Amino acid sequence: MKLNPRESSLSLIKMQKNESDALETRDQVFENYFEQYWALVYQLLARMLGDPDEAEDVALETFYRLYQHHPDPEPEFHIGGWLVRVATNLGLHAIRSFKRRQGYEFSAGKTNLNETAEDLPADILEVEEDRRMARTALAKMNPRQSQLLVMRYSGMTYKDIASALNLSPTSIGPLLLRAEREFEKQYGTLVQEKR
Amino acid sequence: MNKHLKDSQLRAALDGELDAAARHHLDSCSACQARQRMLQSQVTATAHRLAFLTLEQKDEAPSSQMSLKRFYSQKIFEKEIPMLKKIYTSSTVRFVAGAALILALIISIPATRALADQVLSLFRVEQVTVVPVDFTGMQELTGNGALGKQISELVSSSITMDKKPGNPIIALDASDASQKSGFMVRLPQNTTSSRISVLGNSAFTFTIDRTKSQALLNEAGRSDLVLPDSIDGAVVSVTIPSSIQADYGSCPDPSTYDSSQRGSMSRQYPDCVILSEIPSPTVKAPANVDVAQLAQIGLEFTGMTSDQAAAFTKSIDWTSTLVVPIPKNAATYQQLPVDGVTGTLIQRPADDAPQFVLIWVKNGIVYAIGSLGTNSQQAIDMANSLP
Repeated sequence: MKLNPRESSLSLIKMQKNESDALETRDQVFENYFEQYWALVYQLLARMLGDPDEAEDVALETFYRLYQHHPDPEPEFHIGGWLVRVATNLGLHAIRSFKRRQGYEFSAGKTNLNETAEDLPADILEVEEDRRMARTALAKMNPRQSQLLVMRYSGMTYKDIASALNLSPTSIGPLLLRAEREFEKQYGTLVQEKR
Repeated sequence: MNKHLKDSQLRAALDGELDAAARHHLDSCSACQARQRMLQSQVTATAHRLAFLTLEQKDEAPSSQMSLKRFYSQKIFEKEIPMLKKIYTSSTVRFVAGAALILALIISIPATRALADQVLSLFRVEQVTVVPVDFTGMQELTGNGALGKQISELVSSSITMDKKPGNPIIALDASDASQKSGFMVRLPQNTTSSRISVLGNSAFTFTIDRTKSQALLNEAGRSDLVLPDSIDGAVVSVTIPSSIQADYGSCPDPSTYDSSQRGSMSRQYPDCVILSEIPSPTVKAPANVDVAQLAQIGLEFTGMTSDQAAAFTKSIDWTSTLVVPIPKNAATYQQLPVDGVTGTLIQRPADDAPQFVLIWVKNGIVYAIGSLGTNSQQAIDMANSLP
């Protein structure tokens, strides 16, 4: 069937209106997700990165990925798990990038300690240094293993972790055990390097 | 269940994630319990090192509403508003964006719509002028420094999006693009575009908060620049019509391109040429907002002397001129005839960003051609071949 020009433009307008309505709906869905998950994603990243500003930047990037992804409200799309997976992935990337940017690991860590030693109690510095090493160890590991550890130690259940990483819940125990052993190995290496 | 448990099961038991049958075995098997105690000591060490990851009730996060505003301001504005988007990933245009941010600072903050009924002046782009400015020392304003963050927060918390542009839609040809965008799109006839995309119109409003803006100027060390009291509370509304972008050659896909990876753009897309067209955005501001005075303050802020800024300001009709600041020592520009009018060619010698942008205005439409290559003649020829 051939449309005449008027029908054609009406059809075009209708199509554009439908596209516009769809965009509006999609934006509403996105904003609902943002409202629901913002605090969770931000807090997870704030703890991972130890820097509120960087956490906010990475959290915004996480939601930008969601915005690009344009999820439809399908029941099988586990939005919370998806966001946590992307956030941890970006968070680990940020830790690695930060290291590359600064070109520091332990040398600068020591400098940093020296610079701030006068201002902070020794026990606080030690805690900060331990955390920094733990973050570095996470960044050196296989990303999937790091994500698993971050998710577990931030308090997620095996079921939620399995959903976020598209794994079977029964596989979490063995994978977690391996990840913890790998973490200890990396952490131990860092301790050795520090000495 | 009589079979001893695996380490992974013992590990799961520590998290209370063991199934009932295995749990029953563990409760009655001293060998498994002994192994679990050994495992627990290992896990405890890891748990101690990673305890900082545990989310607690007291953890706070910035408000989701403010963050959502910041999201639209920082992510969608920066990444999705199309006008010269890829061209403007160059350092040149990041500087331009920086300057625009400063202007936004000067003309900024939350919408008090009570003032919206004042007599308005209308600003519309009819011509383009370049002003070379020294941006040294200003980069922290647009970077991650504390001041940059404050400016960003000031701007993002103040803007009310009245209409979002949505996502770009693909057009088949000039005719299709014209229908979708609502203005007469002109594309070169002697070459075929690899992609034509149309972005919907958008609009936003902001209201000037003189106190906050002046405080930021003071914090930036420029308390000598004093914003006039008359601008406080003035509502400024910006309307951005639908725009089109036509790509020629191999260009990055706007939906997947990661702008943070600028370094390799010229190697990845050496033959990419982008033509953008947009009817002039319009800015409505109360008549008592003296744009020339504000512009002079902005120019002084960028490092011009008071006399230089005053001279430049007097030479411009601020109601009809798009002023493009370029870095004084890192870019050059020249005016030349294109498409029957006078265009401005801005060039930047660098290997990690677009080398040139050709901008002109004709019949109320702002045109720009940018390329990651070095052949500016190609852009001039393309401009002259528009029907």
